[in-house]
Amino acid sequence: MTSADLYYLMPLIIIAGASVVMLLVIGFYRDHTVTFILSILGLAGAFISLAYIRGLPREIGALVIVDSYALFYWGLITLASLAVAILSYGYFSKMEEEKEEYYVLLLTATLGSLVLVVSRNFVSFFMGLEILSVSLYALVAYLPERKRSVEAGIKYLVLAAASSAFLLFGMALVYAESGTMDFLKLGAHLNSGAVNTPLILAGFALMVIAVGFKLALAPFHMWTPDVYEGAPAPVTAFVATVSKGGMFALWFRFFTEVNGYRFNSLMILFTVIAIASMFIGNFLALLQNNVKRILAYSSIAHLGYLLIAFLAGGRMGLEAGTFYLVAYFITTLGTFGIVTVLSFKERDADSLDDYRALYWRRPLLATAFTAMLMSLAGIPLTAGFVGKFYLAAAGVNTALWLPVIILVINSAISVYYYLKIVVVMYRSPEEEVVAGMPVMTVSPALSVGGGIVLSVLTIMLVWFGTFPGGIIDFIKIMISGISSTAITMVP
Amino acid sequence: MPFEIILFVFFALIAAVSSVVMVTRPNPVMSAIFLVINFFALAGLYLLLHAQFISVVQVIVYAGAIMVLFLFVLMLLNSKSEQKLLSGQKKIKVFAIVLAAFVFIQIAYLIFFSSPSRSLSPDVAASIKAGTVEEIGRQLYTGYILPFEAAGFLLLAATIGALVLAKKKFN
Amino acid sequence: MNLIPIEYYLILSAFMFAVGVTGVLIRKNAIVVFMCIELMLNSGNLALVAFSSYMGSSAGQIFVFFVMTVAAAEAAVGLAIIIAIFRNKLTVNIDEINIFKW
Repeated sequence: MTSADLYYLMPLIIIAGASVVMLLVIGFYRDHTVTFILSILGLAGAFISLAYIRGLPREIGALVIVDSYALFYWGLITLASLAVAILSYGYFSKMEEEKEEYYVLLLTATLGSLVLVVSRNFVSFFMGLEILSVSLYALVAYLPERKRSVEAGIKYLVLAAASSAFLLFGMALVYAESGTMDFLKLGAHLNSGAVNTPLILAGFALMVIAVGFKLALAPFHMWTPDVYEGAPAPVTAFVATVSKGGMFALWFRFFTEVNGYRFNSLMILFTVIAIASMFIGNFLALLQNNVKRILAYSSIAHLGYLLIAFLAGGRMGLEAGTFYLVAYFITTLGTFGIVTVLSFKERDADSLDDYRALYWRRPLLATAFTAMLMSLAGIPLTAGFVGKFYLAAAGVNTALWLPVIILVINSAISVYYYLKIVVVMYRSPEEEVVAGMPVMTVSPALSVGGGIVLSVLTIMLVWFGTFPGGIIDFIKIMISGISSTAITMVP
Repeated sequence: MPFEIILFVFFALIAAVSSVVMVTRPNPVMSAIFLVINFFALAGLYLLLHAQFISVVQVIVYAGAIMVLFLFVLMLLNSKSEQKLLSGQKKIKVFAIVLAAFVFIQIAYLIFFSSPSRSLSPDVAASIKAGTVEEIGRQLYTGYILPFEAAGFLLLAATIGALVLAKKKFN
Repeated sequence: MNLIPIEYYLILSAFMFAVGVTGVLIRKNAIVVFMCIELMLNSGNLALVAFSSYMGSSAGQIFVFFVMTVAAAEAAVGLAIIIAIFRNKLTVNIDEINIFKW
């Protein structure tokens, strides 16, 4: 690890340095705005420093590899946490607890996700995952006065700790069999070993439990609705995007370098998980009337769709998955951003009544929310539609008929519960008077930052929906840089 | 050389028995005590495996620090022992034991009957060298420097999280 | 050490892992559930150390060193959340928090 290597880890160093500087500043002068500005500078600095990294791919020690694939996900994750930080400024300025530590934890969680993206060894995989998880434990339970927030915190912690214990035991079994912790050497061992003993399969299966938990896929999704409902709204946006994005990027890299596609028992397992996620996500969302729980189940379904790109594998699957993840980031940040902006001091805006006749109170916000929900449902002219189309193309390209058909069926089912929210928003205020409902429930003022972030997200949503060519070519260039031998074999 | 086998059997039995007793004791403080015994037995096993650094760190970090923290919180919350430990819902208990037994038999079968593709001829010299503090220290600061720094930030995040959640709010 | 085949170490770690899983599912008290999770992590550690010493490479033992820092961090934040729950006059029993609600 020479000093030249440090140059390649610039974003990590900047974010780590920013969180330490913020801690020092909080020590002297505890002010919400100052801490917020420092966190924005740290994240923006890390994003800008991405442009100065040349000469990829670059291996740093045996544990980390910085290639253009990692650079793209670094940019995506930094921008997503930048959006979450700006959204949470308006949210927390209403609270009176100590809110400065929130930004430090947000930066360390982002740091964990960034380490996850570049890791190429079990040690850095485990460390990145644990930094992300430990910071999230505190973020989920950040408002201890709220009973549900603390309840969600303990639930998330117990299940996340158990799943990381499963991950560790899975890694121990794979290390026991293969003798290496490095993805590439593991791939070489698997290629050379004529008889691949079931011990490695057992190890992979145990690791799938931890990955399934982190991505909130079907059998391991029990925690999702309660944690999404209990956690503060900006933290929910963070959990739904950055922590899943980091884990997906890593798991795709691991599976392509180890070429796990050869174990068809694992592929069947993933197909079952994908289909189960889609069905459970959509059907249970139909029964909810709490907006955050609906969005939680819809995010389970969306990760099920994303798995189709993972099942397709190869270059096309990677591009489809990355584009879909970008669309998923935009819509999830948008929807939870709107929930954040409308939240009150003592509770979040998660019941449908908060959105009753929203169009007449907040026309811009209502149209933005409608655009986001349209994209989640996959209506044309939005990024969501292009993402699903790309997924279906990748699936068809590798003859995954069943998952693609189920993708289409589930998209149809999902339209119902997205429109349920939209209908409530556009109900005319006069009707409400008849129903004896207080028409103009007062929602808090829209913070400047929140407005900017939401408008930028909506513009990106429509831009990627109508002219996807630009972003797709950019993804193609960046993704082609993934440094792994295995990807060339799979078409 | 049978002395080593006796030591192994001794430590392994303690570890196994103490872990079972830990789970079945209704009183949480008793569970904590048996977990500490388990950690000491593991430290002994690590010594048998020539992992000197890890066995000492195991005693210091696990038995010394983490379990003390557990006992401290147990005393703080003076949580009563769960009287109806085993009576509770029967089906979750049976399901849990069956699931755990299945996991154990599965892995045991795999370990014994799967032919490991590499025969492990343990050469004592290398493994002794691998376990010493110098070797681990050198590796830690050369090859594994990035996770080492990351572990620093992990502990930073944990301390801030613990402080924020458990601090008495003086308002 | 060359007398004891490595399978015995793995059997012990698998047994402790299974006991840990049972403990997490059965016990109601949140603190005891954390102890069972520590037990599961330790079983993983045992397997890693056993293989690292049989193979003569220190990679496994360094990984165990990092797992210990992770376990300490998790215990600290977990117990802080439990204290926060206790202060909100909630119980420390996991079942009241109905972990598997749909």
